[in-house]
Amino acid sequence: MKRIAVLIVLFLSLVAVMPLFADDVTKQSIESFDGKPIGVQTAVLYEELIADRVPNTTFQYYTMPNDMILALQSKKISAYLIEQVGFGVQKANHPELETLDELPGYIDATMIVGNNSKQDTLLAQLNEFIALCRADGTADEMYDYWINNFDPETSTCDTTGFSGENGILSVAVEGGYEPFSFVSNGSLSGYDIDFICRFSRAYGYTPVFYEVPFESIAPGVETGKYDIGMNIVVSEERNETGTLTDVYYSCPVVLVVLGEQKSELSFFQQISNSFYKTFIRENRWKLFLQGAGVTVLITLVSILAGTGIGFAVFMFIRRGGKIPNGITDFFLWLIHGMPTVLLLMILYYIVFGSSRLGGMWVSAVGFSLMFACSMIDMLRVGYNAIGRGQFEASTALGYSDTLRFFKIILPQAARHFLPIYRNEVVTLIKETSVVGYIAVLDLTKISDLVRSRTYEAFFPLILTAIMYFVIETIMTYIVKRIDISIDPRRRSQADILKGIKEWE
Amino acid sequence: MIEIKHLRKEFDDNTVPLNDVNLVINRGDVIAVIGPSGTGKSTLLRCINMLTEPTSGNIIVDGEDITERGCNLNEVRKKMGMVFQSFNLFGHLTVIENIMNPQITLLGKSRQEAYDRAMELLSSVGLSSKVFNYPDELSGGQQQRIAIARTLAMDPEIILFDEPTSALDPSMIGEVQSVIKLLAKSGRTMMIVTHEMDFARKVANRVLFMDEGGIYEEGTPKEIFEHPKREKTRRFIQRLSSLSYRIQGIDFDIEAMNEELQGYGEKLLIESERLSKLSLAIEEICINTIADYSENPDIIVKVEYSEKKDILSLIITYKGPYFDVRDTDSELFKELLSEPTTSYSEKTVDDPDGFVNRIDMSFKWVEE
Repeated sequence: MKRIAVLIVLFLSLVAVMPLFADDVTKQSIESFDGKPIGVQTAVLYEELIADRVPNTTFQYYTMPNDMILALQSKKISAYLIEQVGFGVQKANHPELETLDELPGYIDATMIVGNNSKQDTLLAQLNEFIALCRADGTADEMYDYWINNFDPETSTCDTTGFSGENGILSVAVEGGYEPFSFVSNGSLSGYDIDFICRFSRAYGYTPVFYEVPFESIAPGVETGKYDIGMNIVVSEERNETGTLTDVYYSCPVVLVVLGEQKSELSFFQQISNSFYKTFIRENRWKLFLQGAGVTVLITLVSILAGTGIGFAVFMFIRRGGKIPNGITDFFLWLIHGMPTVLLLMILYYIVFGSSRLGGMWVSAVGFSLMFACSMIDMLRVGYNAIGRGQFEASTALGYSDTLRFFKIILPQAARHFLPIYRNEVVTLIKETSVVGYIAVLDLTKISDLVRSRTYEAFFPLILTAIMYFVIETIMTYIVKRIDISIDPRRRSQADILKGIKEWE
Repeated sequence: MIEIKHLRKEFDDNTVPLNDVNLVINRGDVIAVIGPSGTGKSTLLRCINMLTEPTSGNIIVDGEDITERGCNLNEVRKKMGMVFQSFNLFGHLTVIENIMNPQITLLGKSRQEAYDRAMELLSSVGLSSKVFNYPDELSGGQQQRIAIARTLAMDPEIILFDEPTSALDPSMIGEVQSVIKLLAKSGRTMMIVTHEMDFARKVANRVLFMDEGGIYEEGTPKEIFEHPKREKTRRFIQRLSSLSYRIQGIDFDIEAMNEELQGYGEKLLIESERLSKLSLAIEEICINTIADYSENPDIIVKVEYSEKKDILSLIITYKGPYFDVRDTDSELFKELLSEPTTSYSEKTVDDPDGFVNRIDMSFKWVEE
């Protein structure tokens, strides 16, 4: 009897230990990652689940979940946290990924409701709808469809049939976050989208979706810019704002590590496969073109408006009045001293928070202001580079203030500031890449969205860079042409003496 | 034509270059304004076309007070040309455009008219070949001639020249001066601030000498340059500098005087040997003779140096009885008196203060 008991114990311990030998990667404890860098998506707060178990670990924050795969592959991080559903999609594309058997915890996702007049009604309706879905099994049905049986190629939802009798709902979603919100065949799809569409049909709304980075969803909703923000993980701090709905889904969070690399595809096949996924599938090249168009539009509007505003302000302050110059200096200091993203977010959520002005036009306003500031600076530099003698000589001849400025000073000042202007245009184009923060689908944001679907970094990043170079080259070429065409020294003798008869 | 009344200009740093200036400029006047630097010559000129705004006073041009608010200065300025020390041609325009454009923009002339006038003026200043050049491609003298042509193209009633040759290389001064001289002969009204005395003398029919915050002395070139009435004018014209001392006893600190003379000599580049001669003469005459033999010696010593004539002169006047200072035991002083470069004269003068005896000595310098 004793022997048998010993054998059973031995057998049981072997059973427990064997998998450890077979696949030791998944058997590691969470504590064994203490001190190693772990990736987590910005603003999802999963790190709170394990922070006390890995006290010496520095968490690395990533905006896009799929960037963590690249970080893991390039050994920038040792593991990363993600909800199981998200991992399911990643695993399908990257078989080499494994999860620890030990679960860090569960997350409860809620929605945040906008700080505006609809708040109370919406909160009640959403909670009612969540309870209803739980009761009649819709919640389970959706969970199975989008999470357990998710297929990135075919899963889709009905985004039609809205009566809109109770108005429009503006909804902030991540947009690059399978399977909750993602771009498929050029339009949004996913669990969050499906949920909101069902809700809108039931309560007579028409939803309008905005793709907003996770960290911007809560602030955007709190300022009333959006009515609903999706996929907010419950935390104590967030509860304080008191505008969260009940939990509308909960799912396990897993710790992802790198398993064995298994790739049967040849190098060339990988390349062509990746090219296909990035550009051809779902006509994604159209998205890139669209993004480039948005970037060009924002840049062009900002350059034109900024130049105009800057010039107008300069005309007003150039005579050196103390008060207008003081006010201008204050604004220059304010706008130049602020990171571009912050300026845009302040404009989007606070200044234009209650207006329905789209992100693109808010960006155009923001960049116009920034370019106007640069323009004022440039004009000042050019103006001050002109010697006093030019002012005195033209005044003594009898030029009025305005004539003097346009005929004598400006043509000479332009020679000084146009080279700087060219650089400012390039800077502006590059700066526009942050507009994704306020839900604008520009070139960079499109590249992010495509990467979140294809799990490829190379082609989207390189192509985006190339497109920026092309845009910059064209724009600086135009400025250069203008520069040359107004250069007085390049005029021919015939131009100089236009309209004069008989000069030798 | 232009009348200036009680003009005063005070700068922000509280300097007052012009205190109370009164002047009438008549048609056809060619006025040269001379004087030491910092006496408001350029300020006066710049006030006339209001480039510098006067603190108080009136400037009346053809009956209109241009210091009044609401006066259309741009119209007034079209009647007044100005030529600057630093030329101030418009850097982004060719020579021809510098002369054409103001005519087109401000006088409303057609391009053809402006061009014809510009070409005419260019040939009159001898620069017809520079039509398509830019200002920075020309020499200073050429630029200044273009600037004069640009001013003339506006057909001004008066031309103000603000030190037109001060920024030029000596080799280019002549070409600009001859253009201005030609203009003066043609009967144009002009006012010229200049440091070139010979030029002022030849070109002007009126000369203003400015000092002490205003017009210190005014006259024809002959009066100012040959017979200046007032002390400062005379000193300026002859480029005189002077030192003076009063000796009232044999305990006069001759060392301190010598030291000061040394510095004076260094400043004016006077040979130190010449200064020693001067110092020997002062010591011998004043200390060893007059002061030694008088009961109450009172002597005024004045040292002057004329840069223009290169003569160092010594004027000694004293109270009391006359002494024959040449009757001395000093061999050195006797030797000095006998040198051909030294001149000596003495006389008795009327002086209300009693300094009736006067000795004049001068020391020339001849390179050996």
